[in-house]
Amino acid sequence: MSEAGLLRMRLNGHPVVAPCEPARILLDLLRDDLHLTGTKRGCDLGTCGCCTVLVDGRPTLSCLTLARLADGHDVTTIEGISPPQGLSPVQRAFVESGATQCGFCTPGFIVTATALLRDHPHPSRAEIERAIAGNLCRCTGYTKIVEAIATAAKDGA
Amino acid sequence: MHLDPFALHRPTSVDETVRLAGSLAGRFDYLAGGTDLLPNYKMHLNLRPNLIALEDVGELRGHGAGRFGAMERLAELDDDPAIRAEYPVLADAVGEVATPLVRASGTVGGNLLVETRCFFFNQSYFWRESLGFCLKADGDRCHVVPQKEKCYATFSGDLAPALMALDAEVEVAGPAGRSRRPLEALYDAAGDGIRRVHLAPGELLVAVHVPAASRGLHGRYKKLRVRPSYDFPELGVAVAGRWDGDRVASLRLAVGGVEPHPRRFDALTEPLVGSALSDDRLRALADEVMRQLRPVHNTFLLPDYRKRMIGVYVRRAVDEARRGSAS
Ligand SMILES: Cc1cc2nc3c(=O)[nH]c(=O)nc-3n(C[C@H](O)[C@H](O)[C@H](O)COP(=O)(O)OP(=O)(O)OC[C@H]3O[C@@H](n4cnc5c(N)ncnc54)[C@H](O)[C@@H]3O)c2cc1C
Ligand code: SF4
Ligand code: FES
Ligand code: FES
Repeated sequence: MSEAGLLRMRLNGHPVVAPCEPARILLDLLRDDLHLTGTKRGCDLGTCGCCTVLVDGRPTLSCLTLARLADGHDVTTIEGISPPQGLSPVQRAFVESGATQCGFCTPGFIVTATALLRDHPHPSRAEIERAIAGNLCRCTGYTKIVEAIATAAKDGA
Repeated sequence: MHLDPFALHRPTSVDETVRLAGSLAGRFDYLAGGTDLLPNYKMHLNLRPNLIALEDVGELRGHGAGRFGAMERLAELDDDPAIRAEYPVLADAVGEVATPLVRASGTVGGNLLVETRCFFFNQSYFWRESLGFCLKADGDRCHVVPQKEKCYATFSGDLAPALMALDAEVEVAGPAGRSRRPLEALYDAAGDGIRRVHLAPGELLVAVHVPAASRGLHGRYKKLRVRPSYDFPELGVAVAGRWDGDRVASLRLAVGGVEPHPRRFDALTEPLVGSALSDDRLRALADEVMRQLRPVHNTFLLPDYRKRMIGVYVRRAVDEARRGSAS
């Protein structure tokens, strides 16, 4: 890719080509250039987990990732985790357990939890708590979030 | 927060990286996982016009048989039960770095070379400007120990003390080829929070090697921090050793999170080998480590408290390592 070149990636299953400067941060590319605003900008410094996306399936803080390094890779945002119709099992569990209040942290939690349940379909409570230690929520107090992830696991998410 | 423009380079081999680094000498930073560098760049801390991304240099990845590639992600170590079984002190330390999401990108090499930290440095440009900046970035004075010569920023990586306790070496590539040196020699003990590592311009960290003799050592890493979910260490004490009944067969201790570089305390632990470690001797060891280290007031917790906790954490770390060896 040339210096002021085009970035090519698979985004939520679809090929995407976008102009991208070397200093562009993946989060900014997703939200400001590609208008996928489901991924949230919280701290912008790696602390809160609101900006979590999957890069080749790996949970990644998009606020600390150069967009150019996603060139040629597969990126999934919260928009790609929802099925075309309805909600994913983790999303449904969040709704049904009341794990969302203001909702700002929710996309990050759902992306993190989706990756957790893919790799560990039956996590213990301690494993769930550990997995979400990098996602901050200022509203819920976490109890409902942990319950939602446990419910999704039980339902075979 | 947007980043200022820079040129991004993506070498694919160690040789190409070293050549590139030579041609850009002094005008670049290496980019590993970016979890330390990019927050600092966002805060306009010591920007360089070039970034050399190590992402595509395959040789830097992987771990096994005592070798840990510089670009190996911490999450890979966290997920590997063999690390817990063979190097418990390292498993402790890895699990305590930041959060799982940061560990998913953060690497071994980036952790060993993580920028030193200070309450007056890790701030926005606006915040720092209001104080007239400091020696470590854009200014000419220190706000912690008021003078104009020396920076007291704290080394805040968790892996270095653990790997020192395992007697690790680092493999470095540079214009003169490959070399190995003890991990403690990577750090400039005579330097300060700015001149903190012995890496010649353009040298690249390739891997860490843990000797076979350190496999299976009983160990513990005890970390003091404000929020256990993600804070940097305010103190990190690593211990690895072997016990033969009550008798100490080997013992190493290293401490980070206090001064501008992590430190190993062989002169204090070697005399303990060969006899039983009584409570009095353990207390004397802890007191002496505490006496030798000097926290300053540049992190969240007060230096007085951190200093006292050094003694407590040394005792706990040794005691827990020893009990681990008995079970
Ligand atoms: C919220 C948050 C919490 C954190 N908490 C902790 C913590 O508790 N403990 C802790 O230790 N760290 C912590 N960190 C810092 C950081 O995430 C880790 O230290 C991580 O391991 C750094 O690795 P990296 O690959 O992201 O490094 P990068 O940011 O890519 O690089 C760090 C530095 O090392 C240099 N470098 C990297 N690789 C090489 C190489 N191979 N050769 C030469 N130079 C190299 C870079 O140029 C840069 O100066 C935290 C970060 C965040 C955002
Ligand atoms: S110790 Fe002093 S010079 Fe170093 S970063 Fe802090 S204020 Fe700046
Ligand atoms: S916005 Fe990325 S971690 Fe907070
Ligand atoms: S629901 Fe508001 S921050 Fe989590």
